[in-house]
Amino acid sequence: MIPRIFIYITLILIAAALLPPAITAYMRTSKKPQPRIHFIQDMDNQGKFRTQHENPLFDDNRAMRPPVDGAVMRGEIVDSEHLTSGTLNGTWATSFPSQITVNREFLQRGRERFDIYCQSCHGLAGYGDGIVDQVARDLLVNSRLGKGTSWVPPRNLHELTIHQQVVGEIFNTISVGKNNMPALESQITVEDRWAIVAWVRALQRSQNAELTDIPESDRDNLETVNLIPSNNEEEEADEE
Amino acid sequence: MNRQHYVFPKWSNMLLPTLIAVSTVVPLYVVLLAAYGFSPKATDVGYQPEQPIPFSHAVHAGQLGMDCRYCHNTVEVAAKAAIPPTQTCMNCHEKIKKDSDQLQLLHETYQRGESIPWVRVHDLPDYVYFHHAAHISRGVGCVSCHGRVDQMEVVYQHEPLSMAWCLNCHRNPEPHLRPLGEITNLAYDPMVELTADERHQLRKLHSIDPSQDCSTCHR
Repeated sequence: MIPRIFIYITLILIAAALLPPAITAYMRTSKKPQPRIHFIQDMDNQGKFRTQHENPLFDDNRAMRPPVDGAVMRGEIVDSEHLTSGTLNGTWATSFPSQITVNREFLQRGRERFDIYCQSCHGLAGYGDGIVDQVARDLLVNSRLGKGTSWVPPRNLHELTIHQQVVGEIFNTISVGKNNMPALESQITVEDRWAIVAWVRALQRSQNAELTDIPESDRDNLETVNLIPSNNEEEEADEE
Repeated sequence: MNRQHYVFPKWSNMLLPTLIAVSTVVPLYVVLLAAYGFSPKATDVGYQPEQPIPFSHAVHAGQLGMDCRYCHNTVEVAAKAAIPPTQTCMNCHEKIKKDSDQLQLLHETYQRGESIPWVRVHDLPDYVYFHHAAHISRGVGCVSCHGRVDQMEVVYQHEPLSMAWCLNCHRNPEPHLRPLGEITNLAYDPMVELTADERHQLRKLHSIDPSQDCSTCHR
């Protein structure tokens, strides 16, 4: 007969051996706020500084130093008032700058950029009904959640006053902002801002289109997708 | 009678088989435990540091449906998808909920011109040079590496980001390719939306031939 003590020791060892896998299983399935455990450090953390790293040698802890006042980035100044500020001899430019070719690709780019930077407020079709506007209106009414919210609703891009604005003025509004609208020139490149202007023009045109704006060959397609309700009613009446 | 004390007891015959069993089970146990426990899936995945401001991606990218690139606007042209400058937050929060306690640090640091001390979640070793734009421009979407950030109240590391994990995709990229228009659409799953042939066409379209050379990522 095996002495009891050996049996107990074996049972304790087996129980102890189950503990590390249990801890590991927990680590694999849980989220943890503690820094990662790196058993082998290699050269994971080196003394060098990369993009947006911290450098405690500076007061503000930034390894990337802000440019000295008056410093100009390469390519930042393009010697074209038309391209960079949307003006020509002090008045809003009425056409796109010569550096830019408005074609289908450019419009698609504008659409994509509009959907990234503008639609949250102005809405996908530009009616000023974006989701941020809807949320902000709710916050205005609900002072408990609103916490000091103030809001000037985004403009409906199909209003007559904005229709009448020339492209240079729209470009300027995107660049430097207006009322509630923030300046976006640091987020969107010059070319992309012009692309957005082109897309705004396309939206305005699309929402005020006449049947005659559509090439004759495409008009049949338009009717088959039931955009003209009178046809539907006639069909239903016929069936009855 | 007393002589029996000097004879090994009968159970001592068990010692040899026990020793053999222990010497096979213990190394196996150690190896399996090391593979299971020291894997980046255990040590790295799920890292969810507390941030200085309780910014919710679930609200901004999920509920409001803002595009990732509104804030991380360097991602298409640069190696790093930069943490946005505080100015980007202020685009909206100059007006919206400006007296909220949760946003106090935002306004304070903005006025003092300081950086918000965000805690980095996805941190590769310093000898790895991942390039965001190179992946974004060829149809590898945000969700492939970052998970459903639009559903995360607090962002956590969703993938191991280990070298084996990177190579997995570099050896067989097709399951992760999507049309460029769906890059920031985190709900889009190319395995559901596209056929194998369509994904192969995407690979050909962008001439994707991922390098597995050391110097591709290590400098």
